[in-house]
Amino acid sequence: MDNQRLKFVILIIAVAVITFGWITVGVGSEEVPYVSIMEIVANNYEFEQNRLRLGGLVEEGSITYSTDRLNVDFVIAQEEHRLAVHYQGLTPDMFNDGAEVIIEGRLQDEVFIADNLMTKCASRYEADIIKPESNPQGEI
Amino acid sequence: MITLGAYSLQLGFLFALVSLGFGGWTLARDDGRFQVAAQRALVISSGFVLLATAVLVQQLLISNLDLEYVVRYSSVETPTMYKFAGLWAGMEGSLLFWSAILAIYIVLINFLNRQRNQTLMPLVNIVLGIILLFFLLVNIFFENPFTLLPPGTILQGSGMGLNPLLQHPVMLIHPPILYLGYVGFAIPFAFAVAALIRRRLDATWIRSTRRWTLIPWLFLGVGIILGGMWAYVELGWGGYWSWDPVENASLLPWLTGTAYLHSVIIQEKKNMLRLWNVILIMITFILTIFGTYITRSGIISSVHAFAATDLGIWFFGFVVFTIVACVGLILLRWDEFASPNRLESFTSRESGFLFNNMVFLALTLAVLWGTMFPVLSEAVRGAKITVGSPYFNRITTPMGLILLALMGIGPLLAWRKTSNATIKRNFIWPGVGAVVVLVTGLAMGVSSIYVVVTLALASFVLVGIVLELARGIAARRRIAGEGMLTALLNMVDKNRSRYGGYTVHLGILIMFIGFTGKAFTVEQDMTLREGEKTQLKDYVFTLQHHYIEKRPNHIAKVIDLTVAKDEHIIATLSPEKRFYTDSDQPNTEVAIFSHGLIDLYAILGDFDQETGVAVLKIMINPLVQLIWLGGIIMVLGTIIAILPSRADRKLQEKLT
Repeated sequence: MDNQRLKFVILIIAVAVITFGWITVGVGSEEVPYVSIMEIVANNYEFEQNRLRLGGLVEEGSITYSTDRLNVDFVIAQEEHRLAVHYQGLTPDMFNDGAEVIIEGRLQDEVFIADNLMTKCASRYEADIIKPESNPQGEI
Repeated sequence: MITLGAYSLQLGFLFALVSLGFGGWTLARDDGRFQVAAQRALVISSGFVLLATAVLVQQLLISNLDLEYVVRYSSVETPTMYKFAGLWAGMEGSLLFWSAILAIYIVLINFLNRQRNQTLMPLVNIVLGIILLFFLLVNIFFENPFTLLPPGTILQGSGMGLNPLLQHPVMLIHPPILYLGYVGFAIPFAFAVAALIRRRLDATWIRSTRRWTLIPWLFLGVGIILGGMWAYVELGWGGYWSWDPVENASLLPWLTGTAYLHSVIIQEKKNMLRLWNVILIMITFILTIFGTYITRSGIISSVHAFAATDLGIWFFGFVVFTIVACVGLILLRWDEFASPNRLESFTSRESGFLFNNMVFLALTLAVLWGTMFPVLSEAVRGAKITVGSPYFNRITTPMGLILLALMGIGPLLAWRKTSNATIKRNFIWPGVGAVVVLVTGLAMGVSSIYVVVTLALASFVLVGIVLELARGIAARRRIAGEGMLTALLNMVDKNRSRYGGYTVHLGILIMFIGFTGKAFTVEQDMTLREGEKTQLKDYVFTLQHHYIEKRPNHIAKVIDLTVAKDEHIIATLSPEKRFYTDSDQPNTEVAIFSHGLIDLYAILGDFDQETGVAVLKIMINPLVQLIWLGGIIMVLGTIIAILPSRADRKLQEKLT
């Protein structure tokens, strides 16, 4: 291998190593684990990472807006587990009792302080509305 | 009519199969007897696919509620133009739409190559035939749009209507354009495979697919930008890009496609990088299928995803099949890749392109890694871990800036080796331009270092492009004695790829400047009563009225918000909260007013009819419009590069 070619090979390897290093560092510092309420309770509301991600259903009747409607408290449910959530900001269109939501944020005094609230089936292209099992007459 | 659609689809499948049979015979026996038959069968198959698509569109237009697909994605009340959009609103229709676009490409490519590329075309048709067959297979056996509603179903109302989010003019053109891009990469891919099989790896296949690469690249780019535009004007969170898996899926092939557009230049000029180019176009094509897989399988949760289905395994299988076939083929033809030429110097145009390619690939990898991270981490560590926008922004911003720098440096380098004198001459003014902006930015106290660096690099690129144009024009004026404009037009016409490329670069740098606007965005959530005011930056917003309007398929809550600057009312913003009666869904309609380059953006949360208190969010988004402007310039540049030059046209006339 001649000198010039060697230089290019070294350069390409260097770029590859830097890229991998950069990506690994980036992922490491921005990891947001997907947790369940059960894990949160089991971990005593303490996690290594600062931010957590959690999915579940909005407990029926648990939504309470502040008087200026800019803050909302609700309870997120995963099967029999429950967790209180606080969110500041306008709620998405499909945020409602029973809606499937994904929240991101941190834990503080056993309350999930969410800074990101997404409703799951809201923005799907497909609304899954034809549900024969819940609709025995086959009505739409 | 429904039967006609269903049969057309099946006949399309059958003819694709027949074509592959004939094609396979031609290839295996090296016997040209059935070559024409194979081609005709594929074109006929394409015709049937288009017929089936036409039938589905017609059914949507007449709102035939016997068809489950029509009931699910349209309704009698859906405005006519959005009935068209029903075609790509659901899984079944969108797959058919995909096949239809491939069919259009197949017909076009066969028509345009009726006299040309005779050695490659039979193989190109086999590759395209396999892709078409796969999509038709899925369409017929798993997601058939011509399925009737189960007998005995009682309809309440007149169809579920199109998802309100899709009822936006941009959404009428965004999916078709994106699809034209996605599907179009199948053409250069098919040519690459054909060239590989036929051992024709010189630059011929690359020249004959130059336009067929630029066209999908253009469509994909425009599709992505339109998607951002739709998110901005429709989704109501004030941004245009959220690093959602589906957005990333469309960005990935665009990145590798862009790398490919640059690296093929080296093969054309120096006959190098043969293997690399083949690999790049293969990766690009595989990423388009992979993108479809991500969107359809529900493997990664995304706001865009179609409902989760079992289709994932089929798409995954097809991706694996393609990868295995590509790798196998490359290994079989390994001896074909050696090139007599090699890189001579770091300071050469070639190595500029090489760096460009490395960074594009690194960027692709970073985006792919972040997108797939939830799946990978679950497989390896057993815990599903996501990385959101912070990861992507942090990783991709520096890479984007390196690319911006390369965009300025590359064109200033000479082929083979750049002499020190040339470097001095070419770099001095762009360098001055960058330093001036850098110093001014720092002196003005712009807080974000990324913003200052972006603007400085943009200035470097801009000065470089302007100088290049000025020198070219000056030379033509001196030698040919042409006027300013004539010189410019002739110069561009003489080398359309190059100057089209510069125009695209100009568009990209304007978009980069647009991206920096994010650093200056201001937003506030608030509650306002009628007559109440609020101030954000230099703008005073007053809530004038709130009212409810009943429209054909929805009810809208509206507020009128006047905006004043320096005591003068400059606009009225009327954001809405709609409730769609056909699909039973609420939807936020934002209001945007562009004051110069500053967008005033209002989102209505809700209002209480009795108390008259409205909850809303106001944002001030500077420079976002530059992104759309940059996009338009990018389109113009690509069109310059695609259109044939005067010399080409004359040659064409002589030939015919």
